[in-house]
Amino acid sequence: MKWNPRELPVEVLDARIARLRAEMKRARLDAFIVYTNNVRPCAVAHLTGFTPYWNEGLLLVPASGRLVFATALSNRVVDWIRSINPVSEVTSTPRPGKFLGEWLAKDTVKQAGVLEFDAMPSELASDLAIAAPAIQWIDGSATFAAIRRGIDAAEQRMLERADAITIAALDEVNVTAISDAGALAGLVEKQARLSGAEEAYIAVSPDLVSDRRFNRISKPIALAERFAVRASVAYKGSWVRRTRTFAKDDSVRRADIWLEDVVRKIEAGKFFAGQLAACVDALPDAKLANWMVESCSGSYPLSVVASSRSSEGKAPIDGSFYVLTVEFLLDGGPWIGSTPLIIGKPAL
Amino acid sequence: MDDVARDIESGLVRPRRIETEWIMIADHRRARLIEAMAEADLDMLLVYGNAWQVDYLRYATDFGILEGQALALVRNDGHITLYLDSPLEVDRAELDCSGVDVIYAPDLIAEVDHALDRLRTHRIGTAPQRLLPRRIAGRAKALNLSDQTSLVDRLLMGKMESEITAIRRAAKVADEGYRVFKNAARPGRADYELIAEVEAFFRANGVDDNFQIIGVGGVEVRGMTPPGGKRLKRGDLVTTELTPCVDGYYAQICRTLVIGEPIAEQRAAHALYREAMEAGIAAVRDGVIAADIARAENDVFRKHGLGEYTTSEYTRVRGHGMGLFADSKPHLLENVTTRIDVGMALIVHPNTYHPAVGYLVIGDAVIVTKDGCEVLTGVPRELFSVPG
Repeated sequence: MKWNPRELPVEVLDARIARLRAEMKRARLDAFIVYTNNVRPCAVAHLTGFTPYWNEGLLLVPASGRLVFATALSNRVVDWIRSINPVSEVTSTPRPGKFLGEWLAKDTVKQAGVLEFDAMPSELASDLAIAAPAIQWIDGSATFAAIRRGIDAAEQRMLERADAITIAALDEVNVTAISDAGALAGLVEKQARLSGAEEAYIAVSPDLVSDRRFNRISKPIALAERFAVRASVAYKGSWVRRTRTFAKDDSVRRADIWLEDVVRKIEAGKFFAGQLAACVDALPDAKLANWMVESCSGSYPLSVVASSRSSEGKAPIDGSFYVLTVEFLLDGGPWIGSTPLIIGKPAL
Repeated sequence: MDDVARDIESGLVRPRRIETEWIMIADHRRARLIEAMAEADLDMLLVYGNAWQVDYLRYATDFGILEGQALALVRNDGHITLYLDSPLEVDRAELDCSGVDVIYAPDLIAEVDHALDRLRTHRIGTAPQRLLPRRIAGRAKALNLSDQTSLVDRLLMGKMESEITAIRRAAKVADEGYRVFKNAARPGRADYELIAEVEAFFRANGVDDNFQIIGVGGVEVRGMTPPGGKRLKRGDLVTTELTPCVDGYYAQICRTLVIGEPIAEQRAAHALYREAMEAGIAAVRDGVIAADIARAENDVFRKHGLGEYTTSEYTRVRGHGMGLFADSKPHLLENVTTRIDVGMALIVHPNTYHPAVGYLVIGDAVIVTKDGCEVLTGVPRELFSVPG
């Protein structure tokens, strides 16, 4: 989790903040507030490089000047936060909302955008409103999403690193050598963490034929002839997800190759559903059961932007990052695969 | 050692029996919750949860959420609807939560807000209030919502015997996890490699989740954090608290080791911290307040002229509750007046900065009894030394 200025130069963070400020100006926002905890870390991580491992915080992006990060993490870790977050003032306070509200009340702020305002924890929202009663608080989710259209080179490198970690972790799975789902999850997670993953959620479907759902497993549940592993891995705030099906027959490999080929062909501007339907024919005897596309446009690491569950969905944007998950019923049994992609680039 | 713990330790797990016990604990919790709701004259309870603050949600639904957020509506007849904004978590909840209606709600807050709109005539409690989404909390009056955080807090703090048994299991696994950690600590290894070893051990041994932080170094280290790639070297203090979760219940242990032989200052500091922890543990009994335990620990520091290092400048809490969350109420601080009751699970840990050696930790998990406490963690209270 240590900040590496070669991986994430301050200039890159400054450019992201500048993009947000340009959108704030377009939306007539005098300030912008972003919430973070370790479930919703990605917006603050995008702007500062910092992800909290515990507790919560609020980041204030004023129209100009240095950012202010107020966190309920204790004072003893403030220096550590500063070492990872090179672009903010950092304050430890039990009431981040009160602190930032009072800060803003001293300024000439009339309208402040708040990312995912509906979801803000009520105590923080209440403290902000009480401390700065003259400010009009507006949901700023669309403003923030505008700066997440397309990713910069630094983010691409982080995602590539996260993906390399994930692939190496899944490569540890040896279908002939392991028969216990709990031990398998431990093996994959260990490899991911040894490679520098700051977080790794490993879920297993131990018998894909009887149940295609995944769960985290820490008990010695037997692996069937066909099983699947989903690895969701974070590297310094950048998350990827890969799912791999393991079986002894050849149908798994053909589907793997199909998926890697499809992601290279996904085009910007055309809905995912149509593009996937057009590609399914390339995999004979396969019935498309489900699909899902995730992306990071707000505080969540990955959230669904299109899926077979919903008739609506967003069309892919050139240069943006997604994770595509596809579920097939093949002659040999079910197959599930997930892979990250960047629209317009041949591979992550 | 009971049969269940013996089975886990030997690896000869009998899943059916353990899962039956697990389901029974969840059923017992639900029954307690419904009873408490009836006493409070509530028709429903709305609980919020995420992977950081999971306890209120887990108490009601038995779901250990990982991604996204959740809201659950508990009816006074025991029916529960669990709303989740992640389809992956929906699959997990369907597998883990028997008897709960699981709903995929991509626009979680709007959908629950809409559901609550149709229930305006009901008396609905909410917990934990401070984390409830703003949009819903802001309509509390219109939706007939009342803050019932303290109702659930009482249930979370006062453990049933079955919960205490689960925490004992988690404490045993915490001991084992620390042994893995200690055996992994060698010069040249990166801090995250030690965590990787522990997590792999836990995943293979019944531990779904683990909260663990680490400190490596000397006087420059002011606290524990996630690993940052620091390589262990001779003379380093290596501090960790690990908090494994077994079937929903967390237990914690804190220990310090030295790479190579400890120097005199490190031994002296550790002896002081051990004295403080043992003073705190000696203060634990039914009827005291949290402040009494914290004061007993801090008085040892004051006696040695280090009272400054018991303040919020250098430390967060002197211990805390354990259970369905890694850091539960009550916090052990000198200004916390929560009564300590029989059956509470606590960790007593005087972790703080020491000016001569840096950040140092020691902590043991306990269950409160009438006249004292049962210490759950068994790793010796030494300042360990590993080959340097």
